Amino acid sequence: MPLVLDDLMAPEAINDPHTYYHQLRELERVHWNERWGGWVLTGYDDVVAVLRDSDRFSSDRMAYLETELNAEERCLYQPIFAVLAKWLVFIDPPDHTRIRRLLNTRFTPRAVEQYRPRVRSIVNNLLTEIEPRRRMEVIHEFAYLVPLTVILELLGAPALDRDLIKQWSEQIGTFFFLRADEPRRREIACEGVTSLVNYLRPLVAQRRESPTLDLISALVACEDQQELTEAEIIATCVLLVFGGHETTMNLIANGVLALANHPEEWDRLKADPKLIESAVEELLRYDGSVKATVRWARSEAVVGGKTIKAGQKVLCALSAANRDPEHFPEPDRLDITRAPNPHVAFGQGIHICLGAPLARLEAQEAIAGLTRRLPAPRISTPTLDYHPTVVSRALRNLPIEF
Amino acid sequence: MTSTPVQLTVRIDPHKCVGSTMCIQYAPGVFALNADRQSSVINAAGEPAERLRAAAEQCPMEAIVLEDANTGERIFP
Repeated sequence: MPLVLDDLMAPEAINDPHTYYHQLRELERVHWNERWGGWVLTGYDDVVAVLRDSDRFSSDRMAYLETELNAEERCLYQPIFAVLAKWLVFIDPPDHTRIRRLLNTRFTPRAVEQYRPRVRSIVNNLLTEIEPRRRMEVIHEFAYLVPLTVILELLGAPALDRDLIKQWSEQIGTFFFLRADEPRRREIACEGVTSLVNYLRPLVAQRRESPTLDLISALVACEDQQELTEAEIIATCVLLVFGGHETTMNLIANGVLALANHPEEWDRLKADPKLIESAVEELLRYDGSVKATVRWARSEAVVGGKTIKAGQKVLCALSAANRDPEHFPEPDRLDITRAPNPHVAFGQGIHICLGAPLARLEAQEAIAGLTRRLPAPRISTPTLDYHPTVVSRALRNLPIEF
Repeated sequence: MTSTPVQLTVRIDPHKCVGSTMCIQYAPGVFALNADRQSSVINAAGEPAERLRAAAEQCPMEAIVLEDANTGERIFP
């Protein structure tokens, strides 16, 4: 086997994960990656089976990280353990069930639909400014501003601090998205976590004094009912700020790139705006913002004919599952009318992305606004530069002209 | 609002269900996981209509379809 297939951080894998995962899937759908020290799953059925089996596959990343660290490191990375260990994405039932249920009511498709007019207005205001310039850098001038503005308004946090919040979120991302090339990723993440906690703590205290209709007030009300602890509220707010924009930002940017590379699909959407829902589902499948998610086997399990031992980690490659030719005919073709489209871009099972309905809505409004108002754009850079992470499909920037 | 009790039919769209288990938490008398770890209806009359409705509303995928058993009218989503 070529060694490069074991290197999840190889430039080929970062720049073109789809070809990389096709090669790996053809070699072995359940593959032991010696260099990473875990299993890599690239087949749709295996990815779905593991993600739905939360009895045998844990999400408790902090518990496993703790076993890899010495006492001094555990002390050094205390903010990670204190905050990230309470994140919904990193906990198992029964705590997961309790917190997910409390938050879920605020993020159902019906519940988030109320934000659509506001999202549409944010998109239109941005585009009114951008349109006459005939060019933009998609990430910083558009894709990040839509979801971050929305999540801050939803939480009731002042929008004026959003550049700081973005910086702290990026620091957390070095750890969360497995920036394997950054030896200081855990220290950097601690800085980001500490800064965000210090920013959010007074907001929580203020809502406790005088509640409003925002999400922080709703969480504080759960504290009064003893359904959430203060530490869980703070951790959840950090997660919502972080999770509420990074991945949606990348989804919008990757979507613009995909449509810019397929101007006929851009024009098709422009001509028939009703296609926006299936178009966003296809953009999620074709080049979603989360390439993979990790689980840890609690007990021995057989997946795709391979025996996974208790304690071993499993990388579920969502991007690979979404282009598995056994489930998606012509998987490398972008087809905004693809149906059925049972992609796994938001995961599967109990950890299915909490914010998926909001992310869908934001991406629909962002992409609909762009295609309605602008002609199919040209990418105005010869090379695309992706952040080197295993988890996140994230461009550093995306300059376009139209 | 007063209403006469409506008999509901319930089904799950297998192309949409991701096995989030939200419905099982809200209406454990109606839903259970099948061998594929997707939700399935074990007893449509296993919970009061309000709980069935709550379960359908809490589904992150809106995979649960509720219809009026007499008229066939779509109740949710």
